[in-house]
Amino acid sequence: MTTNGPSSTTRVGSAEVLAAALPDRKIGVGRILRLSGTGIGLILLIAIFGALRPTVFLTVGNFVNILEQISILAIIAAVQTVVMVVGDFDLSVGSTASLGGALTAVLLMAGWSIPLAVAVALIVGALVGAVNGVLVSYLKLSAFIATLATMTSVTGLAFIVTDGANIFGFTKDFLPLGQGRFLGVPVPVYVAAAVSLLIWALLRFTTIGRRWRAVGGNAEVARLSGIRVDWVRFVAFVIAGLGSALAGIILVSRLASATAQAGDSQMMLAVAAVFLGMTMSSYGGANIGGTLVGVAILGVLTNGLNIVGVNTYVQQLLTGFIIVAAVGLSRLGQDRR
Amino acid sequence: MDQELAARPSPQSGLPMLSARGISKHFDGVFAVRSADLTLERGEIHALLGENGAGKSTLVKILTGVYAPDGGAVELDGAPVEFRNVIEAQRAGVVALYQELSIVPNLSVAENIMMGENTPARAGFVNWTKLFSVAGGHLEVLNQRIPLRRLAQDLSPVQQTMVSVARALAVNARVLILDEPTASLTNLEIVDLFRTLRHLRAEGVAIVYVSHRLEEVFELCDRATIMRNGQVVATEAVADLTIDSVISKMVGRRSDEIFPPRSAHEDEVVVQVEGLTGKKVRDVSLTVRRGEILGVGGLGGSGRSELLRLISGAQRAQSGVIRLAGKDVTPSSITRALDAGIAMVPEERRSQGVILDQPIRENVILANLLSVSSSGLVSKARVRDLANRGMTDLQIHARGTGQKVGELSGGNQQKVVLAKFLARKPTFLLLDEPTRGIDVGTKSEIYLLIQQLAQEGASVLVVSSELPELLGLCHRIVLLHEGRLAGEVAAETATEEQLLTYCYGRTA
Repeated sequence: MTTNGPSSTTRVGSAEVLAAALPDRKIGVGRILRLSGTGIGLILLIAIFGALRPTVFLTVGNFVNILEQISILAIIAAVQTVVMVVGDFDLSVGSTASLGGALTAVLLMAGWSIPLAVAVALIVGALVGAVNGVLVSYLKLSAFIATLATMTSVTGLAFIVTDGANIFGFTKDFLPLGQGRFLGVPVPVYVAAAVSLLIWALLRFTTIGRRWRAVGGNAEVARLSGIRVDWVRFVAFVIAGLGSALAGIILVSRLASATAQAGDSQMMLAVAAVFLGMTMSSYGGANIGGTLVGVAILGVLTNGLNIVGVNTYVQQLLTGFIIVAAVGLSRLGQDRR
Repeated sequence: MDQELAARPSPQSGLPMLSARGISKHFDGVFAVRSADLTLERGEIHALLGENGAGKSTLVKILTGVYAPDGGAVELDGAPVEFRNVIEAQRAGVVALYQELSIVPNLSVAENIMMGENTPARAGFVNWTKLFSVAGGHLEVLNQRIPLRRLAQDLSPVQQTMVSVARALAVNARVLILDEPTASLTNLEIVDLFRTLRHLRAEGVAIVYVSHRLEEVFELCDRATIMRNGQVVATEAVADLTIDSVISKMVGRRSDEIFPPRSAHEDEVVVQVEGLTGKKVRDVSLTVRRGEILGVGGLGGSGRSELLRLISGAQRAQSGVIRLAGKDVTPSSITRALDAGIAMVPEERRSQGVILDQPIRENVILANLLSVSSSGLVSKARVRDLANRGMTDLQIHARGTGQKVGELSGGNQQKVVLAKFLARKPTFLLLDEPTRGIDVGTKSEIYLLIQQLAQEGASVLVVSSELPELLGLCHRIVLLHEGRLAGEVAAETATEEQLLTYCYGRTA
């Protein structure tokens, strides 16, 4: 059964093009629903709580309230977004916030000036991020293991700094940072807006932003294009540490007290917010706009359930459901290969 | 499944064990296999031969249910079969063994042999006594003394291969496909493997033997099927073939109309590579002149791609110097290489060349971030200009620079990679398999482009496993064999036979 291939046309024939036309991009209802599903979810939540308790929930005062409640989470989620754009994640953001706040409180109690105490706490936060960056980028540990380890050690540090005590009674001059208002809006909201805007601008307008996105998109392609992948990932972790410490400092000012674990719960919520936000991106990547919607969903949910009178345990249960529902729904419309 | 078995003709019916007719499969509009026929008799060792990319692996993957064919039919023992996955193929007795993929290193020898559906178990609990005794039985059939409780990772390569073969026995393989089984074996071990395969042949198993080592084929196999460009060009008894006749069938005669006429290059030597050594590459020295296109050929694993990685800074060299216009530019990183004027278009387009999820313009600027920004701020206008220039110069067919690269055809994706690196205006351009998986029209455009770059004064190094491409495009060709330079020819007068001879490490 010898079949000799035609001599001169074989090559051309075998590479025959079947479909020269570009694949049509499907802009269907499903795609739009999928991309905007999380946003629709937020509006739905507001509508439901508004219908249940219009006089309490749907007031300007309550919305300012929600903004204040989510501002610290927004800062941490914004810096977590950077790390997740690069394709890693950082489990230590919550404990770094705790440490940053605790350190500020302790230094203030020791009589340090406010700018100096805040600066030291920020530097320590950046250092925690740098340790994460070295472990992940240069020592090639998985982000999960590296940041789990720093999370644990940083919590230990926070306990050492506070000696396990609840620290309060520091100078009143420090409180406006967390409790002050400007034009009726709480100061933390301005800080959160500024941080989000800064991260958005970094991601959108700068070369480091492009490098982050490239590394997150495909690290090998980025490397072969001459991008210093290790450095780029390192910088992302440093920013995460710095932002987390800032959030922790504001938290301490708002509560007028500090404990070794005050900020810990923020980590999971921040990761959840970024995931919620990723469902709003056409390529499934972390993005700051989506993250803020995610933060808002979590904030509205907590606030609304409080107003409706659902106890905090049930709230937690529902939060988990909502995250799974949102991320799960966004998967439905995706092509399976 | 049992009823089906009963319905099949008895093994002595004289029907072939497996018969595949008219098998076709294409990817991204390019045929990988076209109208291929393959018949396996029971108790034969059948070689499947062809150059890289001839379609052997695709055909094997279709037979074992990894890919669904676009056309054609497969019959096993006279009954039509359509495997939806590897497990279905395995249940029917069609098993392929791949290098290294076939064993689980952290399980014992016995567990590896009795993997998956084969594990004797009741209610989820493994029957260890039975597992060890059955596994031991299969190794005995193969005449192998391998401790059953040893972890697979602690075995020698040939022992690992034997464990894979034993697993094939455990699932009652009637068709056994081996893909380059001797790549990591010593000569003595090969003798051992061949003894085992002959034993299986005597038991009536049909064996498909895929290998680049032609000497082995002539020693071991009964018949050979030779593929070229996705088509079967011959199936003959090995006794009727010679190494030379196999090579000429693998190569065929092909049109080179798609290549632009060769242009002249200058005499000035621009690139000097001296004594470059890496993991596989050993002491390679070469020069490229201004405007010259130098081809690098060799079999898979000969160090072709590593040579490019070493020159481009993607991999650190153990020793060796790279000079550009007399200046030592031996790169410590890709960033340095790009700054020195060396750019590499990598081998794997989809995993190394482009970010599929991101738009064309984001991809094109990746190697050019400094030129589209000032003090860290990206200029939207400059990004647009750069991307538009790339689209025009390379004739990228897309809706716009905002279209995701993953939505483009392979050829247009490759043009995006080229646009990214050409914007750096490299003096030394390295191309690894620049036209793999690309339709013929775009191939021709890329050849023309490479030639234009050379005419404009760039020195070009092209690695390709397609010999006609090297012959049609390059001025000069060097061949690598096991990491060392095995020969150099002028492309104009060389033949594919000559190149292959060097590739196989045989002296002309």
